[in-house]
Amino acid sequence: MLHIDTVSGHERRSTQELLLLIEAAVEQGETDFYIAASGQHDIGGPLWNRKGAPLTFTVRNPGQRVGAMCLPATTVLVEGPAPADVGWLNAGGRVVVRGDVGDTAGHCAASGVIYVGGRAGARAASLMKHDPMYDEPSLWVLQNVGSFSFEFMGGGRAVVCGLGCEKMSSVLGERPCVGMVGGIVYYRGQVSSLPAEVCVKELETDDIAWLESGLDDFLAAVDKQEACQLLADWSMWHKIVPEIGDEKRPDTVEDITAFRREAWIPGGIFGDVVEDNFQVSGLVACGDLRLREPVWQQEMQCSPQGRGCRDCGQCLKACPERAIARVHDDEGGYGYISDGARCIGCGICTAICPLGVWQMHVHLAEL
Amino acid sequence: MVQDVSVGDLRWNIVWQRDVCVMCGSCVAACSFHAIEVVRNRYLRGSVHISGEHSGQTPAPRLAIRQIADSKCACRGCGMCAKVCPVGAIQPVRNYDNRMSMLSRCVGTPKRGGRHGGVQRRTLDTIMVGRISQMTDPALDSERHLFDIRAPLGRVMPVSDLPLQVEGERLKVAGRTPPVRWIYPLIFSDMSIGALSTRAWEAVALACAYLNERCHLPVRMCSGEGGMPVRLLESEYLKYMILQIASGHFGWNRILTALPRMKVDPAAVLIKIGQGAKPGDGGLLPAAKVTPHIQAIRGVPGVTLHSPPNHQGLYSIEEAVQKMHLSCNAIFGFRVPVAIKCAVSATSVAVYNNLLRDPYNICGGFFLDGIQGGTGAANEISLEHTGHPVVSKLRDCYRAAVAQGRQGQIPLWAGGGVGQTGNAAADAFKLICLGANGVFVGKILIQLLGCVGNEQGRCNACNTGQCPTGICTQDPRLVRRLDIDRGAENIVGYMRSFDAELRKLLAPVGNSSLPVGRSDALVTSDKAVADKLGIQYAC
Repeated sequence: MLHIDTVSGHERRSTQELLLLIEAAVEQGETDFYIAASGQHDIGGPLWNRKGAPLTFTVRNPGQRVGAMCLPATTVLVEGPAPADVGWLNAGGRVVVRGDVGDTAGHCAASGVIYVGGRAGARAASLMKHDPMYDEPSLWVLQNVGSFSFEFMGGGRAVVCGLGCEKMSSVLGERPCVGMVGGIVYYRGQVSSLPAEVCVKELETDDIAWLESGLDDFLAAVDKQEACQLLADWSMWHKIVPEIGDEKRPDTVEDITAFRREAWIPGGIFGDVVEDNFQVSGLVACGDLRLREPVWQQEMQCSPQGRGCRDCGQCLKACPERAIARVHDDEGGYGYISDGARCIGCGICTAICPLGVWQMHVHLAEL
Repeated sequence: MVQDVSVGDLRWNIVWQRDVCVMCGSCVAACSFHAIEVVRNRYLRGSVHISGEHSGQTPAPRLAIRQIADSKCACRGCGMCAKVCPVGAIQPVRNYDNRMSMLSRCVGTPKRGGRHGGVQRRTLDTIMVGRISQMTDPALDSERHLFDIRAPLGRVMPVSDLPLQVEGERLKVAGRTPPVRWIYPLIFSDMSIGALSTRAWEAVALACAYLNERCHLPVRMCSGEGGMPVRLLESEYLKYMILQIASGHFGWNRILTALPRMKVDPAAVLIKIGQGAKPGDGGLLPAAKVTPHIQAIRGVPGVTLHSPPNHQGLYSIEEAVQKMHLSCNAIFGFRVPVAIKCAVSATSVAVYNNLLRDPYNICGGFFLDGIQGGTGAANEISLEHTGHPVVSKLRDCYRAAVAQGRQGQIPLWAGGGVGQTGNAAADAFKLICLGANGVFVGKILIQLLGCVGNEQGRCNACNTGQCPTGICTQDPRLVRRLDIDRGAENIVGYMRSFDAELRKLLAPVGNSSLPVGRSDALVTSDKAVADKLGIQYAC
């Protein structure tokens, strides 16, 4: 084991000095480290032994990003607490912190395990994801996590044991799981203010099996075996998963018609001064909604010969709506009528009539 | 004759393809302007031949769709003919060599019918939200951050003037404070019952209620100066309405007589002194639109209605502030904020300074209406040549308040062309950064309902009563074309987009609440604009 003390007298090794020292030792074949750190960043990764031997780091008083970018054969054990970004981008290492951890623990981790023997700060496991070529990542926290945790989580599993937090209104703080699209968050205790895109479910057999298979290892790592019986009461647990696939809520559909019928003022706000049935007419309309109407005026003596309709029937054939009919009486009299229920007021009859018997009546407004 | 009008003189020409047309007559039936007709022309080669048996003496009649060469029923380019044509045989095209700006003035009255390209360049389009939170401070997540998107309408008292007393170790409010409504920073601006059809007005009101009740967007709607539907006055939805009192005072008899039956207070009262589209010019509702229900609501006969250009009882700015504000505050027992709307003018800062004195704390907002607002109903001389852009004057007003340490006390609301390019959120955000508390929009609402009018002179027949979409007409046959629900749905959808887009601008500048006066967030590609507004020049 290589024991590195980072403070000697009044001199402190910088992060850069410490990391270069560790890297050189790993290169020389050293696999076991004890580091009495003094806030140096990035202890633990990404490092590897050329022969594939495991690397072990026991660390006291690390700085941020301890266990960051850890590779699969690396184990980091922090004896006390650790600040922010524990296991940041963890790529397969085993990172154990016996005390509390700062914000964004497990941020963007894609593999490996992170064990926290106390509380985790805000944004724990945010953007944690699962690279399908490797085992899925997990983050275990003995107590609770801070607000905004599991934001945009895309994979992996987080376990929040809520030990001693039974009276907290939320073991996940405020607004957890916002934007969560994958993975599972197991928790024991209460949660609040979950966003619409996730849902809370009861544990299933698979979930319990997975938790049981990992609980002993976790508790042993953080030296809290005595909590095992209490935590293994799975009836106290729930899980949060994103609503995807069939469970995804449909996008909000505006239903103004239903709102108008159910909640709006009955009959409309102008119902006392104007009649309106709310029916919608097309741009081409018949009957009273026509903008013009043709009138057959036999008395229109507008032909050069001073005669009216010659009964040629062209209007009848040309009418696109088949709205014109020829009527006759017993004495040989005849006439043409336009059926208002069919006529759209286009004026084709007016145009086609060689004698101008059909006349369009235009109503600019009906006042 | 030389003076005869031909279709080449008209602003829009109908292009009709005789070899495609099936002569169904839909285009003629749909045209509310009577701009086209069916004609018979036996010599017209290739025109549509109506199949059928014909006697030997009658040549096969040929029919054609022809544009009528008359400026009174000139094609407006609304495109309803193209919309209904089953085969795509007809459409209006713009005729650049038209003579309408002359011909429509040959009748002895001012020309109406919208702008025709006389719109100024928009200042807002030279401005970008150029100060992005990156390394200096974190940007926010526009979709998930909890933003506080609310704007005040009402007199905001400075803390030093609040009637607070210390009792033991607690602060106590001892005495009245003016009413303030914290509402959505976009108001559905005043378009009157009368100017709009019943359906169009109701669609806007329905959308407003829906946004409040179902979408958590506390949007308020201003009635316009044509009064209020009594049923709405007596409903719970009155709380979403801002009642307007303009120089004509139309409809106020029914508002006052409804007072004992009102269940809730309205959102506010807005005194309209002037409007940006036609500053210094009164309102005018042509007789064709003064139908019986309009006569009833407004209390007038069916004739052309003028709103005077000024309030008849107000002779000075002091009276405008004190007398008018006091009366309007008194209507609802000083529980409802009262604001005032003026057309933007070179004198706006003087007016705002006068309002800011506000010795009785009764002025709840200053609405600045710029030249780029308005529909096609106003006289063109007013639309295009009278008025003042809103951007610089809003900025001047805000800076005047800042100079006195009184910014935010009388909220500034800006309008007039907001959303003209389609993106009201960008316009709103920039105006807010320049000092506005919120914005108001009108024209885009009717465009969302289905109005096809634009700033390049398309349609703009709002004054004629022949609106082809049933929005700006009272002709029941045209009004029935308008689908209230679908119209309201468009407005609701637009407002949801507006809200999402506003967040997309709030997030990158790192503001959780509206960045009123945060001009550091803006840059402009125009040096003159930069100098005038006091924002960064960027190129």
